[in-house]
Amino acid sequence: MTVNELKEQLNLTPLVEDDYDREVTDCYIGDLLSWVMGRAPADSAWLTVMGNINSIAVATLADTACIILVENAALDDNARQKAEMHGVNILTTPENSYSLAVKLSKLI
Amino acid sequence: MRELSLNVMDVAQNSVRAEASLVRITVEESEKDDRMKIEIADNGCGMTEEQVQQVIDPFFTTRTTRKVGLGVPLFKLSAEQTGGSFNIQSEKNVGTTTTAIYVPSHMDMTPLGDIDSTVKILIQCNPQIDFVFTHSTDLGSFTLDTRELREVLGDVSLDTPDVLEWIGQYLEENTQNIYGGASL
Repeated sequence: MTVNELKEQLNLTPLVEDDYDREVTDCYIGDLLSWVMGRAPADSAWLTVMGNINSIAVATLADTACIILVENAALDDNARQKAEMHGVNILTTPENSYSLAVKLSKLI
Repeated sequence: MRELSLNVMDVAQNSVRAEASLVRITVEESEKDDRMKIEIADNGCGMTEEQVQQVIDPFFTTRTTRKVGLGVPLFKLSAEQTGGSFNIQSEKNVGTTTTAIYVPSHMDMTPLGDIDSTVKILIQCNPQIDFVFTHSTDLGSFTLDTRELREVLGDVSLDTPDVLEWIGQYLEENTQNIYGGASL
């Protein structure tokens, strides 16, 4: 399933669009960035409330397919800029991580 | 990081890489003022203002193995997410002082963790460098100064097992004292 298909199926709002044709093969949930950094699988959809510049660095490092900011968590301006610069896909949803992940698990 | 002591380890290792001969690590905890300060000050090669801006940018690293460096950015985040502050003062050929201030009652406060072990490991791994560790609370403070230890030890290196054991005990006893005598 691609990021774009996830967007359609889960009603996600796009925030930063780099490559929504990218395949999503896994899902990871976490907000402690140093923890996520070494654990989020590559090509996963990463569900988090952390929308700061460090999150963008973590997504780059872990090579996740996209960041999904849950519960309408805010994306900082400088984080948005870095995401655009480094090609990090970001979407958002009002749902919490659990309810989104339950739906996501049926799609990937 | 799950413990702030790991951030201290990370920054102190940067001091080692900056060829410091003296690293001062200060932890000031005050329940009364709801404030905690962590400071790592070295006399290493220092940085220009531009380099300081680069180290707080997670997309800058001197490593060639990967393109992001999150040590300092995550340390900064840990302080700022409690309503505290973070600052790096540096001067070329003089040294660097990194200061993180926390509001410990904040829900997003990261625990200090095992700072004594951090200090002990730093001494063990860098016996040629001097460390001055000061830890204070509302109840008191203590200092471990490896320069004083060297005066007593003469030619004996700081990383010999007996010395390290003594350092460990010294840190443990004094930490208990400033935490009110309760064994931790």
